[in-house]
Amino acid sequence: MTINTLAKGGWHREQMTCFQKMEKVIVAMQDPDMGMKMRNQRLLITVIPHAMTGHDIITWLIQKYSICEEEALHLGGMLVKYGYIYPLKEPRSIVLHPDETPYRFQTPYFWTSTRWPASELDYAIYLAKKNIRKQGELMEYEKERYSVLHKRINHTWDFVVMQAREQLRASKQRRKADRIVLECQEQAYWLINRPPPGVGNVLDMGLERPNNFSLRVTLNSDYYKREIETCRRALGRNRVKSSICLEGFVKYSEQYQNHDPIMQGCLPSNPWISDDTAHWTMNAEVVPTPTRLRVECWSFSFMELLKDVMGRKEFMTYLEKEFSGENLCFWQACEDIRHGESSKIAEKVEEVYKNFLAPGAARWVNIDSKTMDKTLEGIKRPHRFVMDDAQMHIYFLMKKDSYPRYLKSDLYKNMLAKAIVPQETKKSVFPFMRRQRHSSPSPAQAAAQATEGDGRGKGAGPAGTNSDV
Amino acid sequence: MPLVNNKVGDNSTVGKDKALADGEALVDSLIKVVACYRHLASCVGSCTDSLQLRDELRQTREKAQKLSVAICHHLTSHLRNKSLPEEQRKEMELLWVAFSSSLELLHVDMCKVFKMGDVFSLADTGTLVQTGLQGGGSEVAARALSIPDLNQAQPPALPAGLESQEQSTLEQEISQIDHMIDDMEMKVNVLRWMVEPHGPQYADPLSSTDSASLALLSVDEERPGHQPLCQRSHIFVLLLLFAVVFVAATLSVCIFLFS
Repeated sequence: MTINTLAKGGWHREQMTCFQKMEKVIVAMQDPDMGMKMRNQRLLITVIPHAMTGHDIITWLIQKYSICEEEALHLGGMLVKYGYIYPLKEPRSIVLHPDETPYRFQTPYFWTSTRWPASELDYAIYLAKKNIRKQGELMEYEKERYSVLHKRINHTWDFVVMQAREQLRASKQRRKADRIVLECQEQAYWLINRPPPGVGNVLDMGLERPNNFSLRVTLNSDYYKREIETCRRALGRNRVKSSICLEGFVKYSEQYQNHDPIMQGCLPSNPWISDDTAHWTMNAEVVPTPTRLRVECWSFSFMELLKDVMGRKEFMTYLEKEFSGENLCFWQACEDIRHGESSKIAEKVEEVYKNFLAPGAARWVNIDSKTMDKTLEGIKRPHRFVMDDAQMHIYFLMKKDSYPRYLKSDLYKNMLAKAIVPQETKKSVFPFMRRQRHSSPSPAQAAAQATEGDGRGKGAGPAGTNSDV
Repeated sequence: MPLVNNKVGDNSTVGKDKALADGEALVDSLIKVVACYRHLASCVGSCTDSLQLRDELRQTREKAQKLSVAICHHLTSHLRNKSLPEEQRKEMELLWVAFSSSLELLHVDMCKVFKMGDVFSLADTGTLVQTGLQGGGSEVAARALSIPDLNQAQPPALPAGLESQEQSTLEQEISQIDHMIDDMEMKVNVLRWMVEPHGPQYADPLSSTDSASLALLSVDEERPGHQPLCQRSHIFVLLLLFAVVFVAATLSVCIFLFS
């Protein structure tokens, strides 16, 4: 079974709009007063009415729609291309000739339709009919398609042949002129819907094909309201000039280039390649001595410092020296609320209030009055983001104030000096043993080698003294 | 339409064969009716469209539906019968497939007739497409209904109200066919890839009388003078032969006379 039943909501197709318009033109041509002038077609013995020349068609189109000849030729050409008018002399040449070439209207049953597309069963029946009529003399491509169909809908082949026979017997009942017309109609229909190889299929719209034939957008006030809203939101979005954001992007890339394992390579070696996990152990969360790159990273932005566990610890040590450790504690507590369990939010907020916000609290944080009021108001109904404003305030306080001083402090500088730069593992003697191959051979390696030499010297010294203590 | 008469007692295989034969006869006539319906449907909206055509369509459709309902019952009851022997089942499945394909064609044709009936109202004959057809389809309808000649007793000028009534009936009938198709698929599970047709890939030409008249059909506009030329050449050859025979006879008579 190849149909989609309407009942099952099987994809109710619509007729394409362009077809509906063409149909209107064809119907307008039928008008007995203002319509097309009809002639008779004379075959040897038979006379068949309702033929027209290409010239007639173009004249009529020019007159009716007040268009120029070129446009009429194009419009008429489309009518022929989509099968509403078919040529009589050369059925395979589906173009409109603006001369005495005869054409005829196609019957509405055979009008091109996206709603009822030509099915394989129909085509098989048509080919079977043609085969019986011409006693096996089909064209090459028709023979091929016939055998393909025979394989594809093999189960219903008896039906195909029987139906073909019955249709032929039915058409025998008509007079000769009508039979000729019916044959021409059907041939024209199939030349459009199953074009011979090499001829383009007019129903194939290629890339411009609309996605969904059955979706019709009604242009009512709701639609326009939605469009206006979408445009308004789009206008309100923040925009940055590309020159500025690209500059920022370049700066970021330059800053992080040395830290990127793909651009710079990992020291001592890339564990994925060399199966040596030294890189991971050296960069674990808590190590006695962090690597140099890691410590350098802390100076890039405050967030980097806070993200790193060791960095945070170091920063905390520094703040405690400056007697402003409660800021960082507060910030950490707020993070905990934001990312923690929902069930514990209320008690955590209570804790934070008790420790940091209540007047006379043990570790009272300095927040401006407006934010404080807002937060206290919000604490009455605690939720995950109730501390956001206060946290943001403290964060910027630390960032503007404590963080730059930390970077200039001795604590940081010592840490930087202490940091180790791992040695690149030695190249193996055998060329096929991949010990430390970097993912990209970058000339920056040479620069890294130079700093390595310095770092190692510095690292060895203080490391030695530390271990003694 | 006589349904299957299961012979009580007697040989059950004979009864089954009769069921098969009945089914085949029904399906054959449905195929014939569907072909005629399609033929008539292709005239809707054209200049030969008339109340008479619509009436013929209606009658053909009713016949097709009666047949479909009968076949549906017949085949469903037999295919659901688990004790059906294997060859019988295969034959029944073939009939089933033919039946469902006919229904498919009938459904599309009915939808098209419905839509075009809407678009081309008979009240306004100025919009009918001039397709070059001249005759009506009465003989085709007669063939469909298996009666020798369509009764012209009905006055062609049927009341206009009948048209809209027919449209709404058509709508209902289309949905009925839909349901029948759905039902069929639910009740009987025929595996279409297991069904093998009997006939060959290339159909034999029809009987000699058919093909002779069909040869006339294949008049291409490209070579309009083909047929008469053939006949003319035949006559020419015959004339030549006669002339030769005549000359030979005259010569022999002369020789006889002068010798």
